[in-house]
Amino acid sequence: MNEYLPFLSGLLKDTLSGIPYILPEIVLVLTFLVVIVADLFLQGKRSSAAFWLSITGIIISVFFSFKQIEAGADVRLLFFENIQLDQVAVSFKFIFAFVVLLFALFIRYDRNLQSHAKGVGDLYMLLPAVLLGLNLMAMSTSLLMIYISIEMVSIGSYLMVGYVSAGNRQTEASMKYALFGSACSAIMLYGISLLYGFTGTINISDPDFIVHLGEIPEPATALAIILTMVGIGFKLSFVPLHFWSPDVYEGAPTPVTAFLSTAPKIAGFAILVRFLFPFYDQQSQTKEVFDFETTFAVVAIITMIVGNFAALWQNNIKRMLAYSSIGHTGFALMAVVSNSDYGVQSLVFYFSIYAIMNMAAFMLAGRIERQTAATEVDDYKGLGSVLKAEMVCFVVILISLTGLPPTAGFLAKLYVFSAAFEKYTSSGSIWMVALLITGALTTVVSLFYYLKIPLNAYLRKSANPYNIENAKDPLIFIIAILTFCVILFGIFPSLISW
Amino acid sequence: MIPLAHFMFVSAALFCIGIYAVLSKRNAIMILVGIELMLNAAILNLVTFSKHDKFEASGQVFALFAIILAAAAVAVSLAIILNVYKYYRTIDPTKIDNLRN
Repeated sequence: MNEYLPFLSGLLKDTLSGIPYILPEIVLVLTFLVVIVADLFLQGKRSSAAFWLSITGIIISVFFSFKQIEAGADVRLLFFENIQLDQVAVSFKFIFAFVVLLFALFIRYDRNLQSHAKGVGDLYMLLPAVLLGLNLMAMSTSLLMIYISIEMVSIGSYLMVGYVSAGNRQTEASMKYALFGSACSAIMLYGISLLYGFTGTINISDPDFIVHLGEIPEPATALAIILTMVGIGFKLSFVPLHFWSPDVYEGAPTPVTAFLSTAPKIAGFAILVRFLFPFYDQQSQTKEVFDFETTFAVVAIITMIVGNFAALWQNNIKRMLAYSSIGHTGFALMAVVSNSDYGVQSLVFYFSIYAIMNMAAFMLAGRIERQTAATEVDDYKGLGSVLKAEMVCFVVILISLTGLPPTAGFLAKLYVFSAAFEKYTSSGSIWMVALLITGALTTVVSLFYYLKIPLNAYLRKSANPYNIENAKDPLIFIIAILTFCVILFGIFPSLISW
Repeated sequence: MIPLAHFMFVSAALFCIGIYAVLSKRNAIMILVGIELMLNAAILNLVTFSKHDKFEASGQVFALFAIILAAAAVAVSLAIILNVYKYYRTIDPTKIDNLRN
């Protein structure tokens, strides 16, 4: 023990000096604790206390993140290189906070969830905890932090899906999610343990990490990296690991589905970028450790094709949106493959827009389901003349999801395309051509299933009249604002350049 | 002293048994047991490698965190499985298939 004594003061100093930089996360932890206690004692109507407290906490944490941007955008390694705070991490944190705030509003105005016997206080309690996990995912640079943050988000998500178990389908979805997720994270932990054994360090930013990995026989490295990718792939739901997502998205309550298909997926990409960075950084000097470019190019192509073509055959709206989000994963992987600064920037832009579009799409699906009990595309027949505001917003959002001008979805896809094209012109890789072609073709395919909704709503007549349950609630205003943002950012993209 | 390779063999065997249980068992609890075996294989690896680590700490610390998170995940999964039993009167995942294409 005594031999460590001289280092203690240094260790303490290093730890203490890191604390000011994780102020947003500390605020989230405090919010989490306060919300638990508040929900116990101040149940009230619709758990209002828990709602307002968690919203306030999240906004304060965003405020501190703003301070971090103002203070300077240099890269900082904190807590013995476990956490890295930089511009990209802060941008991702803003996206997560935005999605979680929308999720909170969605829960508050979703009548199915509100009428649940258990109340929704515990769901609000989960928000700061999951946001903490998401933030850590965006910042982690060690294998330990990667594992902890992914598990934090996963456990929170299992609870969200399983929380409102009002029927067979929901419990089934939660079981599939929990079992598949735990299995994937166990496989990832085994891969991580092998990586640790091969390199002797858990810091992926440590230069030793890559150097030692290069000294290990290639099949062993490939095995360890693929096992690790299983855990990250579960969060991204790219193709060999996408089986859970349509079932879970269909079975879970709509607000939860909206959240699951947005925030953890984006966080998965943040962690993927972090994990790949040292590999790309060193590739020019040492021998190639693992051929990420080919692997991810193949995965991206298959993901785009499977996601978009499977969506064509779906009749359930939530299931269709689930497959479309798999297609979007494949598309965004294109930016990861192009591995440049521009690629990462285009990824951040793509996901800022994706978060808006996806949350709006699920909010609309949830709202229309409540008003007309329509869950299938066929049920949307003739809705265009009944739910005017909703359907107009839906059409704009769907056009944006397809990626047509003048919406922001078009620009998001354009940036990813140009990042991939830049990579092609600099490397001449045949995989980039294949990616670009698949991306363009599947965008056309996506038009067919997205436009099925307006086709039914406007051009077909319903056999029996609808009895609309008129819901006067602020959700439609939120949806309208999001739709407006999609068009606004499509015309003035500089408004959200980080 | 037991050589490093023996630990790795044991953990690889544990991992394979776990994967086999996850893929073949017709009982959600047994699948959880399989997942637990896989996690323990990884934890055994971490502790073993930690012996040869330059600081002799990061692997062991990692193992502690992994044990805690595994316990949390199992607690949540068991609650969910209990809930499934309430609705389906079975916990055989092959019979619970309302959601599919």
